[in-house]
Amino acid sequence: MIDERTEEQASLYALGLLSEQEAREFERELRESEELRGFVAQLKRSADLLATSAPSVEPPPHLKQKLLDQIEQRMKIVPLKKAETLFAPAWFPWAMAACLAVLCAIFFSENKSARQRSARLRDELQELQKQTISLRGETDILQNQVAEFRSKDRLSQLRIAMLSSLLASSPKAVAVSVWDNEQQKGVLVVEHLASLPSDKDYQLWVIDSKYPSPVDAGVFTVDEKGAVRFQFQPKSRVNFEKIAVTLERKGGVAKPEGKMVLLGS
Amino acid sequence: MNEESAKLDVELLGQIAQGDRVAFSRCYDRYSGILFSIVVKVLNDPKEAEDVLQEVFLQIWDKAGIYKRELGVPFSWFVTLTRNKAIDRLRSSQRRFRLLEELKEETAVLTNAGSTFMTDPENRESSVMVRSAVRSLPSDQRQAIELAFFGGLTQNEISESLGQPLGTVKARIRRGMLKLRDALEDHL
Repeated sequence: MIDERTEEQASLYALGLLSEQEAREFERELRESEELRGFVAQLKRSADLLATSAPSVEPPPHLKQKLLDQIEQRMKIVPLKKAETLFAPAWFPWAMAACLAVLCAIFFSENKSARQRSARLRDELQELQKQTISLRGETDILQNQVAEFRSKDRLSQLRIAMLSSLLASSPKAVAVSVWDNEQQKGVLVVEHLASLPSDKDYQLWVIDSKYPSPVDAGVFTVDEKGAVRFQFQPKSRVNFEKIAVTLERKGGVAKPEGKMVLLGS
Repeated sequence: MNEESAKLDVELLGQIAQGDRVAFSRCYDRYSGILFSIVVKVLNDPKEAEDVLQEVFLQIWDKAGIYKRELGVPFSWFVTLTRNKAIDRLRSSQRRFRLLEELKEETAVLTNAGSTFMTDPENRESSVMVRSAVRSLPSDQRQAIELAFFGGLTQNEISESLGQPLGTVKARIRRGMLKLRDALEDHL
């Protein structure tokens, strides 16, 4: 006796409406019951006959010939398949096994080779990384060297002049000037120069033979110890040849008028 | 579908399995009409139905050797092959939803158009009986069964499409299938 639930499952099964899991479970029931198998067969046949209720439509006439042509093509391949099948029982499994073994050997070899390639590439990569680090270090060194060369070049542009006292009253007076020709700037460091009355200044001159008279580089005074650090810049661009300090009236003059105090070259 | 017809089909399949093109040609003549009608009904596209029918018959040619009688008569196998292929095609296209609407309309007024399903009078009579049996089903049962058979819908999809609870849909299908079986008893 088939209950309602089973009838429902059988109807859904006949129409292909059960999920895979449901169908598997129902097929287990089917295997155990001949009555159910007969019932399902009837439902299945009824479902198949539903196909005949579809409105009649004839396929186009050319389709049959098209199919026969395709079959003709397949026929050319079929005899080979049949010939293989005839001999298959004897050696086919061994041939398959041999093929598999060969394939395994090839895959193993390929795998090993791939691993070796991978290791080699990894080593090469590490080597390249080391080289990169090394090159960075060398670049830093070169950059430092370039900076150093630039610094040296800059130094080559500097002129250092020792100035000596020309006054008997200030025999100990000394001065050093550093001149940057490129920048057209300089520094004068003076010691033991006599202090000045308030209406007087020391005036610095840069001597360049291309000018008819020394070029004014500014006025300065000294402290109570006779010392000063004076940064100067001539009024015109000069090619430093000599440097001199004169004693002038307060504020300086256009051309040297007073006594020369210091001279250097 | 009678026993003689099924016997002939089994013979034809045996010959096709041996590469007999004449047998294949006869098989095509016997079933291409009904199988094509199924595909057109499912896909509603004669051009695409051609491709599917071609696939079905090529599969019959290729697989005739593995057909087993215990799995059902050849006609059932052909219908299953055809329906599965058509539904697969349908599911991969967007025409499915359009078809649903058409099926609903069609089931309301079932066509009386004749089928070319086999040419002998006995099978024509069988076809008429099937139509009559289907027509005799209450429309809610017929609709649920046709949505499953020709629409390839799942239980849940039928439930959703008809706006009915799943339990109701299952019960309608059960009752409809039992009625159909009873109506076609002489042809099973």
